[in-house]
Amino acid sequence: MNYLTIIFTAMLSANFVLVKFLGICPFLGVSKSTKSAFGMGVAVTFVMTITCLITYPIYTYILVPLGVEYLEIIVFIFVIASLVQIIEIIIKKISKPLYNAMGVYLPLITTNCAVLGVAEICIAGDIVFDLLGAVTYGLFGGLGFTLAMILMSGMREKLDTLSLPKPIEGFPVSMLLACFMAMAFNVFVGISF
Amino acid sequence: MNAILYFLANDPSKVELKSVLIAIGIMLVIAIVFGFLIMVVSKKFAVETDEREETVLGCLAGANCGGCGKAGCGAFAHSLVENKAEIDDCAVTDKKNKEKIAQVLGIEYSGGSTFKYVVSCNGGDNAADRNNYVGVGDCVRQNMTAGGRKQCKTACLGAGTCVTLCKSDAIKVVNGVAVIDQDLCIACGACFKNCPKSVIAKIDGSAKVYVACSTKCRGKEVMDACKMGCIGCGLCAKNCPEGAIKMVNNLPVIDYSKCVGCYACVDRCPRKVIHKL
Repeated sequence: MNYLTIIFTAMLSANFVLVKFLGICPFLGVSKSTKSAFGMGVAVTFVMTITCLITYPIYTYILVPLGVEYLEIIVFIFVIASLVQIIEIIIKKISKPLYNAMGVYLPLITTNCAVLGVAEICIAGDIVFDLLGAVTYGLFGGLGFTLAMILMSGMREKLDTLSLPKPIEGFPVSMLLACFMAMAFNVFVGISF
Repeated sequence: MNAILYFLANDPSKVELKSVLIAIGIMLVIAIVFGFLIMVVSKKFAVETDEREETVLGCLAGANCGGCGKAGCGAFAHSLVENKAEIDDCAVTDKKNKEKIAQVLGIEYSGGSTFKYVVSCNGGDNAADRNNYVGVGDCVRQNMTAGGRKQCKTACLGAGTCVTLCKSDAIKVVNGVAVIDQDLCIACGACFKNCPKSVIAKIDGSAKVYVACSTKCRGKEVMDACKMGCIGCGLCAKNCPEGAIKMVNNLPVIDYSKCVGCYACVDRCPRKVIHKL
């Protein structure tokens, strides 16, 4: 297991949003301005890292020895929901504008499939992880999500200043953008170190 | 008790129950741990919220129109509590709720002044075109092309920018001029802020009449441009029994604190520029 491979895979060749198509909801919902997209990315990165840090030991050292692996999804969701709750409280205290900008999408990290996805991939994916590898995967998966968010929001901000044909103005053109970005990210698939 | 647990743990037909108990135990432990964590964090990072803010927000109309100049009703309630806004900045909330807000905030509220928005132009099809306009219909874009097609510089273009902006469907374009239905208008001011010709006027809420023209020109110039424009004759000012009307820049300006609503000005205006509300 090579950490460079994990980092490269998590950020680019298996980017959560653009290659695995997980976490599309905030990708389209919060990417209107770079600032809130960055905030969302940081929050998701944080949740993903901590999720890996907590769910991996819970699964390996508690659920597997006791033979109750079938509880994984309910336990993972439980952990993620609690983490999101904690982060929401902290963000509300530290930065009220960021809290307002993220709005409903912050509680929605709870049901963000990228976060549940990272926990599932860590325990049942193609690569067999140890704890450090799982945390690295979570951290760089989150950074890959942030990267996708920032790229998307930057382009959407630019698009706002253009005059587009009415039928594709606004949301439709963002869908087209997402399509081309996904095609671009697929060139990384297959590269390993 | 131990005997029961031993039985449960060893009887092959009860294995299912054992794993159920384990599952319940695990969930319970995790729930307690995270519940405790959340409790600690929420104590440590508690945000002091003014409980009055919630009450004030409950009393506001909740239209989120932005007419007060704030981002929405929540932001307005916040600045009300912090004493950075006036209750009357909100035009939508009714008087009863405003009094309740004043009570919550512990400040005097005298009933206050409300306001209305009116279109101070009645030209429309009566106002002459200077040239033909062919292109995108929106008023703002028309105005970018040499100030629009009308001969009068302060004429309503009638292309309906305000109609699309209106949140309560109160504005209609009738005979080429925008008309605000006062029963539907929530006075959010979206039209007032965005009219490229600034023909929408903000007037006192008690107003019974308004001047439906905003030209500063007089006499022949107005006659040529518009059949319904104010020519600045001053008959309304001369005939107002209360002396509430003054001529400023060839336009009548009505002092609504003096106006009693006798409609003498409406009857005497030769161009039918002063309208009843």
